Amino acid sequence: MATSVTLTKERSGGASWPGLSRTFAIIKRVLRQLIKDRRFLALSIAAPLIIMYLLKVFFDSLGNFGPGRYIVPAGALIIHFLTYILCSIVLVRERKAQTLQRMLVNGYRRGEIILGYLAAYTILATIQTLIVLFELAWVFNLNYDLGKQLSIYLVVWLLAVISISLGIFLSNFSENEGQMLPTIPLVILPSVFLSGFLINVDKLPVWVQGLSWLTPLYYANTVLQGLIKAGGELGQEWPSLVGLLVYGVIVLILATFTLKEQE
Amino acid sequence: MSENSGPAILVENIKRKYGHIEALRGVNLQVEKGTIFGLLGSNGAGKSTLIKILVGSTRPNEGQVEVLGLNPFKDSRKLRELLGYMPQTPALYDDLSARENIRFFGQSHRLPDLTEQVEKVLEFTNLPGRAGDAVSGFSGGMKQRVSLACALVHRPQALFLDEPTAGVDPLLKENFWEHFRQLAAQGVTLFISTHLMDEALLCDKLAIMQDGAVLACDTPQNIMLRGNTTVKIWRGNRLERQTISEYPTQLPGLLQSYGLDPSITRLELDQDNLETIMLRLINAKPGANPEQAMAKVS
Repeated sequence: MATSVTLTKERSGGASWPGLSRTFAIIKRVLRQLIKDRRFLALSIAAPLIIMYLLKVFFDSLGNFGPGRYIVPAGALIIHFLTYILCSIVLVRERKAQTLQRMLVNGYRRGEIILGYLAAYTILATIQTLIVLFELAWVFNLNYDLGKQLSIYLVVWLLAVISISLGIFLSNFSENEGQMLPTIPLVILPSVFLSGFLINVDKLPVWVQGLSWLTPLYYANTVLQGLIKAGGELGQEWPSLVGLLVYGVIVLILATFTLKEQE
Repeated sequence: MSENSGPAILVENIKRKYGHIEALRGVNLQVEKGTIFGLLGSNGAGKSTLIKILVGSTRPNEGQVEVLGLNPFKDSRKLRELLGYMPQTPALYDDLSARENIRFFGQSHRLPDLTEQVEKVLEFTNLPGRAGDAVSGFSGGMKQRVSLACALVHRPQALFLDEPTAGVDPLLKENFWEHFRQLAAQGVTLFISTHLMDEALLCDKLAIMQDGAVLACDTPQNIMLRGNTTVKIWRGNRLERQTISEYPTQLPGLLQSYGLDPSITRLELDQDNLETIMLRLINAKPGANPEQAMAKVS
């Protein structure tokens, strides 16, 4: 039988910064879910490691082909791909389970939800980026100095954070996983062909070059290509670095405003 | 409690379309504070849409809504502190425990005593023994209890429950209704949608909905009076049937017409149930298809 408990009483004052505390509540909740879903967590870490190892096998099989130009950008592509997919699918799942709607009705605000997810998945992306770059350096014997390594890490990490934002933004247009799936090749394949990863963007038809600007890998790849050259520095391709940052801010704003509070 | 002295919920001429489908066709309702208001209707009647409009999750195409004197869209931030919502599906995080789920939804409100309040609602919904277990291992009824606790944790003044006892066993259903009565006694307004006839009769006031329109809105007792009563009178083996529409006033007259006839050996009153009354109301609607109505209700 139900216990008689008084649940209604006058509300007293609370924290002065509820928005920040609510964002932290979302971060904690998402991280707790990630930790409890061990299979998801293990796959999120293992998948890039396996893919990078297969890439090594592939490059080795090409014989005398010098993969120098492709190795680090390939790592960036894998990170871009995985972070985009993982975050977008999880958010679509929230929408389908109606927990997203429940969060909004409960008073969580759009900006808090986006920031909460972004921060929580950034922690996962930070680990993924570290592991992938360590593996790359190890299997491909990359001998970059510490400054260059840190610069590469910063650019790939930034790309990962922006990919999460992109995942959140595009997931706002999907009601279920089925609707989300077609966006995956739409985002990832142009990243491969148009970002300058395989061929330089200036070799593409002029009208297609404009499309390159729509993929964050274009900016990241340009900065990375400059970095991995002998004597390359982070500031060398600063317009692309700024482009990457601006791209991230725009996507984040779009993600916040396209998250519908009401039907 | 709210300073607003008017009704807890006011719905005026609400209309909502999804494409070419009219989910709500001009609904009007008024719900008094501290009462249990039931919304009875078959699947697709528009109950969930109306609840989503009241909690500010779906915008109506036309009409006005007020909850606790506030507009769910213009005053959404203020109102969300005051209302609790339990969706039709449990809408919980399966990987998390019952306690973690309740705490998370409670954290969206400024509760200085959140930890204490989480324990209170766990106790209220009889969950303390399983509070630390992951929700994924819970039965449907237990998930509904956790979902109710999530809706209650911030001490809402108005509670919107969308089919809260769907798929719940009779014992747990009784338990839920005990909770609802306790909350109403504490001054909480409960707005409950259901398609279960027995449950509808437990409400203080009831609106019967069909195809996006309210067919009747009254106390369950008054709605029951809309039904016919068949009086069966036996004279030995001979059965006579008399149908009256309002038995409390018409029955004395009917019995008086028989006088104290000593040949009457048996007398039975056969009242229409809520389902029959609902079907009659649906069929009385212009353009109603009786067979379709039967299929929707059954």
